[in-house]
Amino acid sequence: MRIKVNREKCTGCRLCLQICAIEHFKEINPKKAALRIEAKFPDPGKYRPFVCTQCGKCAEVCPENAISRVASSAYIVDQDKCTNCGVCIPACPVGVVFQHPDHDFVIICNFCMLCTELCNTGAIVKWEKAASLEAKEA
Amino acid sequence: MANGLAGKTMRINLSTGAIRSFPTDEELYRRWHGGRGITAKILYDEVPRDAAPLGPKNIFIINSGIMSGCFIPAGSKVEFGSVSPLTNGPGDSNMGGHLGPTLKFAGYDMIIFEDVSPKPVYLFIDNETVELRDASGYWGLKSLDCEKKLKEDLGEDFEIATIGPAGENGVLFSCITHDFGRQAGRTGQGAVMGSKKLKAIAVRGNKSIHVNDLAALRKQVTEIMLRTQKHPNMIPWQKYGTAFFIQWSNANACIPAYNFQTTYYEDIDKIDGDQLVEKCLISHKACFGCWMNCGKYTKAVIPGKPEVHLEGPEYETGSLCGSNLGMKDINHVAYINWLLDNLGMDSMSGGGVIAFAMECFQRGLITEADLEGQTLKWGSVDDVEHFLDMVAHRRGIGDWFAGGTKRAAAKIGRGSEKFAMQVKGQEFSGYDGRWAPGMLLSYMTADIGAHHNRSWTITVDMAEGRERVEGRAKIVVYLQHIRPLFDTWCICRLFWGELDITPEEIVESLNHITGWGVSVQEVLRTSEMIWNLNRCHYIERNRNIGRTFDYPPARSWEDKIPSGPGQGKGLSLAQIDQMLDEYYAARGWDTSGNPTRALLEDLGLGYAADRLEKSGFLGKPIPGGIPPVRGEKYKPKAF
Amino acid sequence: MVIYLKAGGELRTKLKPDVDDYTRRVETEAGKALKDILTGIGINPAFVAFAFKDGQMKRLDYVPLDGDVITLQPPVSGG
Repeated sequence: MRIKVNREKCTGCRLCLQICAIEHFKEINPKKAALRIEAKFPDPGKYRPFVCTQCGKCAEVCPENAISRVASSAYIVDQDKCTNCGVCIPACPVGVVFQHPDHDFVIICNFCMLCTELCNTGAIVKWEKAASLEAKEA
Repeated sequence: MANGLAGKTMRINLSTGAIRSFPTDEELYRRWHGGRGITAKILYDEVPRDAAPLGPKNIFIINSGIMSGCFIPAGSKVEFGSVSPLTNGPGDSNMGGHLGPTLKFAGYDMIIFEDVSPKPVYLFIDNETVELRDASGYWGLKSLDCEKKLKEDLGEDFEIATIGPAGENGVLFSCITHDFGRQAGRTGQGAVMGSKKLKAIAVRGNKSIHVNDLAALRKQVTEIMLRTQKHPNMIPWQKYGTAFFIQWSNANACIPAYNFQTTYYEDIDKIDGDQLVEKCLISHKACFGCWMNCGKYTKAVIPGKPEVHLEGPEYETGSLCGSNLGMKDINHVAYINWLLDNLGMDSMSGGGVIAFAMECFQRGLITEADLEGQTLKWGSVDDVEHFLDMVAHRRGIGDWFAGGTKRAAAKIGRGSEKFAMQVKGQEFSGYDGRWAPGMLLSYMTADIGAHHNRSWTITVDMAEGRERVEGRAKIVVYLQHIRPLFDTWCICRLFWGELDITPEEIVESLNHITGWGVSVQEVLRTSEMIWNLNRCHYIERNRNIGRTFDYPPARSWEDKIPSGPGQGKGLSLAQIDQMLDEYYAARGWDTSGNPTRALLEDLGLGYAADRLEKSGFLGKPIPGGIPPVRGEKYKPKAF
Repeated sequence: MVIYLKAGGELRTKLKPDVDDYTRRVETEAGKALKDILTGIGINPAFVAFAFKDGQMKRLDYVPLDGDVITLQPPVSGG
């Protein structure tokens, strides 16, 4: 399962950012979300979501091995091991690893998919690769 | 705080530069609910009754209400309040976008600006860092250009609100622009900012908002979300925004055409919602937390002019700058919308002012000699562009129109007052009232001059009789209580009002956020209290009985509608007086339109009664007493 | 032939949905304009801002086809 972005459908409502922080931190705070919305106005006049692709680059560069995953589950941060050094942040190709002054660990997406359930326009949706493709890539 | 508030309020003295931050007064919010409620209270208490609206003693307030930013649908608004230079009374205006929530994410519920800065400044907020910064590099820039530059200089994640040259130059219907296309347009709040040499506000914040019961709020909001996703109105709204309304308004003889000379426009097909979506649409644009995404980000493409991008035109601008100006191309309407946004003028009053000037030109009351050699003909986008430049810079006769239609008509005379389509100095919204008596009454009695957002009754008028006035008043009163609540809470009425969400559900959300445990009845009373405080303030400032300023322009009863489905229709002055009499009685005011002591004390406003009495304008006691409940909810029967 | 009409708000009350919360099944003759169909089921067409079908706005003189699912949009209450 992946999160697919249909960027031309994003309207910038930021509901995805809100539900992400509510789910993971029980707070209303878009700056604690694990995805981001880029706004480009007045030209071309569009929004674009950036979401985690589970590429694993953050885990690769982490000097503390604080980011890992079990089998094909999502990558997660071990908050005890993480030193908040931030090396993973520029390593993320889509820029969705975050730090926040309230916490001493980085924030990454755990693929709970709630953002896709709340997105009303289809800008971010759940997407399953065909089983044959998955097998091919394995 | 775990009640939806961010926690801090700021008072800024622009003359000394002193910035004082203190805990938000929770009692004040409990009593006045925030948004326009608190602006009403502060302006009433603190602005001297003889203070000039563009002078140092006026106060300019930014307030993001209780519910803004609190994970509820359309929880996006921010309110601005000050004594309006257009109406000389308490004024407020709100806008969507993202500024209100971001102010709260930075930790602030309200900012109160006092006095005048000696030099142009902008307010910079980055969480705890609050500075009045030199704005000399931005003063003079048009609104949209200024927002772009501030974002380049400070960072894309700053939310910006700015005035344009019109606000800097004291055009009385100047607006505040934000998010490249949202405006706080009405009542000239941009002019007050400009008079204080406050060019812009730039905010960024990463704090959390805490509510009383997040789990309950989340559950309720998620249910509303899933329900409204399936609502039949959602898809048309998402596609067109309010622009779909243009055709209906025309077909039902409500749309203003040629400065409200008539109410049916032959070329409506050239400027309707389909035209907007087919010819101009770039993307759909939402405010914070709203999936109705009624905003339409568009381009205006006119040969010989640069392509421009804007948000709109929505219904109001589409009608007031479309059919009202005789425009025959949606790109022209969009371009005029862009001109007004960028120069920083309310597109509603702007459309009204241009239309009034065009009719003056039509009648020979102003000529090319007055317009620097340019004409001002119906349907000419080039003429409009030139005229707006004169107005924004108050050049020549532009200075007259910079005061709105009422002041321009006072200068021009020769009967032009009759078709200056305004009440109390503020221009009509995009609906004619001659065949919609409740709508006319709404304009007459709105606290901020002619405006539809307080009450809108056209479908009631159609159901109950478009030529009958009996019984309309108490429905207007009820609407004037329930609709402004959204501006008090700083959430968008459109989402909540158009998708079958009940008042009880909205109050349930309010209670999950605040923990207040209030009822619908109680919040309606709070709204009535705010309404009456504003009325007292208005009467005291203008030193006259209410009845003197509650009338519409004479076109409303002298000119019957000349064409279209409404041909021949129109109210008489006797009917207008009858509506006003019924309205005052329904409100618990005397026959002069002044609030009575019995009413004010019933609302806990005894001190306002004392002040009104001292000023000589307290309403005389009503024989038989005041109605126990003011306003009545309309129950649709005929349809 | 059969068409399906959907409406929210006050229009929904008048429509009397029978398929789901918002939808009513209407049997009608082919060739009849939507506004006449509405009048026939007790809805005043003046209270319908426009009709919406397959993502397109339709005027009330539109003649529905068999199986059409049409949303009736009420006038916005100002804005």
